[in-house]
Amino acid sequence: MKKQKMVAMILAGGRGTRLFDLTKKVAKPAVHFGGKYRIIDFPLSNCANSNISTVGVLVQYESVLLNSYIARDHVWGLDIAGGGVYCLPPREKDTTGFGEYRGTADAITQNLDFLDQEEAEYVLILSGDHIYKMNYDKMLQAHMDSHADATIAVLEVPLKEASRFGIMNCDESDQIVEFEEKPKEPKSNLASMGIYIFNYKTLRKYLKEDEKNSASSHDFGKDIIPTYLKDGLKLQAYRFKGYWKDVGTISSLWEANMDLLSDKDALDLSDPSWKIYTGDNNVIPQVIGPDAEIDTAYITQGCAVNGLVKHSVLFTGSKVDNKAEVYDSVIMNNAVIGEGAKVTRCVVMDNEKVPAGMVLGDKNSKDILLVTKAVINAKKAEEQVNG
Amino acid sequence: MDKILGIVNLESSGVHVEGIEDYRPVSAASFLGRYRVLDFMISNMTNSKINNIQVYIKNRPRSTIDHINGTNYNINTKKGHIQILHGEKSFSSEVYNTDIANFWANREFIENADTPYVVIAPSHFVYVQDFNVLLQSHVESGADITIMYQSVFNAKEAFNNCDTLELGDDKCVKAIEKNRGKYKNRDISLECYCMSRTLLLDLIDKARKTSSLYWLSDIISDNVDELKIQAYQHKGYAACINSLKAYYDANIELSDYYTLKSLINDDWPIFTKTNDTCPTLYKEGAKITGSLVGNGCIIEGEVINSVIGRDCVIKKGAVIKDSVILPSSLINRGAKIENAVIDRYAIVSHIKELRGDKDKPLYVKRRDRI
Repeated sequence: MKKQKMVAMILAGGRGTRLFDLTKKVAKPAVHFGGKYRIIDFPLSNCANSNISTVGVLVQYESVLLNSYIARDHVWGLDIAGGGVYCLPPREKDTTGFGEYRGTADAITQNLDFLDQEEAEYVLILSGDHIYKMNYDKMLQAHMDSHADATIAVLEVPLKEASRFGIMNCDESDQIVEFEEKPKEPKSNLASMGIYIFNYKTLRKYLKEDEKNSASSHDFGKDIIPTYLKDGLKLQAYRFKGYWKDVGTISSLWEANMDLLSDKDALDLSDPSWKIYTGDNNVIPQVIGPDAEIDTAYITQGCAVNGLVKHSVLFTGSKVDNKAEVYDSVIMNNAVIGEGAKVTRCVVMDNEKVPAGMVLGDKNSKDILLVTKAVINAKKAEEQVNG
Repeated sequence: MDKILGIVNLESSGVHVEGIEDYRPVSAASFLGRYRVLDFMISNMTNSKINNIQVYIKNRPRSTIDHINGTNYNINTKKGHIQILHGEKSFSSEVYNTDIANFWANREFIENADTPYVVIAPSHFVYVQDFNVLLQSHVESGADITIMYQSVFNAKEAFNNCDTLELGDDKCVKAIEKNRGKYKNRDISLECYCMSRTLLLDLIDKARKTSSLYWLSDIISDNVDELKIQAYQHKGYAACINSLKAYYDANIELSDYYTLKSLINDDWPIFTKTNDTCPTLYKEGAKITGSLVGNGCIIEGEVINSVIGRDCVIKKGAVIKDSVILPSSLINRGAKIENAVIDRYAIVSHIKELRGDKDKPLYVKRRDRI
């Protein structure tokens, strides 16, 4: 019997405007996370671990770095015959001019030729900016068992937070009867994770129709799923249990990093049976200096610490100098906390250097401070004024 | 055209690393919590843009074979390659398994290499060196062979059984002798040779005719009068990992940030195989100073001036001082470890103290449960 092939399509074109300077030069999926990873390592590693061999990555916003990163498909073990990671930017075609992806569904529509060529039976739609570990193979099995036209992964969220999500209202067999985007009065607490499995033939037909509909916003959640429901197609919910986080804002990115320090760390990146792979750097092992003080920290290779680090996450190549203090913060790649400097509740951007003695952030502040070059310069100016 | 064929040689006959070598040659042992010892020599070659590298292996080769792969070392694997070679006939005989026997068995691969020169360096030395600079010095001096050496002040304690060079004017090598630890100041051969590929082939043939016990260093030593042998001084950190103490010392010395950075930097990365291990978690109450730590560890106890390998667990109340812990070991609550080398997958618990001596570190076997 011919193996029924599932092709994964990762939506990675978004800017992630609420991450501000972090996504000024790179797309959100390329943002660093958890010491040594980039966010897109999660869906890519999940694909590799779920035995999916063909992955298309839909890129658009600031994609140069992301393109070169995903091109190294051996990093995730996806460089196998008949498979690979395909970088799919919008392109000029024979019959159409150069366009852009007008929505999540349109990104797939514009690559139907790719899915045709890959002879996909099933299409797995993923988001390139979520942090979670999931076995898509099990989800496919459930999808096939239920004979649904599409299966949507859902997560039980606290009811009071349900109005922030796309909510699936289901019958007793978890068949979806209604979909509500950010409902004011949610009827259920099953939130869509933005992970869909479609039978390709049906999806192809609907995408073709959606393409011609000028009233459509060409979005899976807003257009395709509602049309499926309206036409009486079978949509099944697939309940996911475990850690899942959309790191759309500075504070949620900070929070997701802080979760790694918790005793109840539900993500568990240390599980050898479900490793998250990443483009490894040839850096030194972490060096803990003679004057270092470390209490509750997540530190990766390439870091050099000779100051105090408390309840913080240090990313590859970052440095905490003598007498520097880091509390409740995320220090991103190659950032340096200079001698005697102090950062509290901050996310320090990659490659930034907090000068010696500078104090940034506040332990009582509700918000997390994103430390950019501008923030450092403003603080310098302020210090000069105050003499 | 590439100029140099790189040969990562076997450890010489004087290398005895108690315990560690029962499981793999020391060159394949975990080093500095992240590397294997031979990563340094292979990285020296790839950083010197040598595209054609031969790595010679002897018995217990599993770790080495598993570890080496061209893509790990930033080599263009289409244009060049890393070849793992061994001497089929001499493989299982310690006495007859000389480097010459290995070269002889693989003579055709040396013969077919498309480079005028060859650099031979053994896998158990740790230093960084641009071999193009060595080649340039070799070519400029017009020597037949150039030997790289290090002037050391601790030849009594370290570099035992290494070759020492007696140098004449203009750094010409007059004699090669073994270091028996009688003198402090010695010019120690790093057993790194630069010569033309044809001369290497000649020396292999000559050595084979002389004795099946001969090493390359023996035949070079025999020929100091006939050949023009020049010495090239290496400066900076260099260690010869030829004993358990030397292995221990090099780990501890390089756990200092500045010593480590003098070897490894952005211009001269040391490549290794990734294990896709997550970062290390330091839990509440952990206390750690002056140490190197690999990824994937969970540290709750106290660690002082030590090297902790990948995926180790150090439980609360455990104290590790001046020790080298190899990957995937578990040090349980209350264990006190000092001046020790703990091999992979060891579990230390239900014991108060494991204390070695700085001059004679204690060794705990692989998979041992104490």
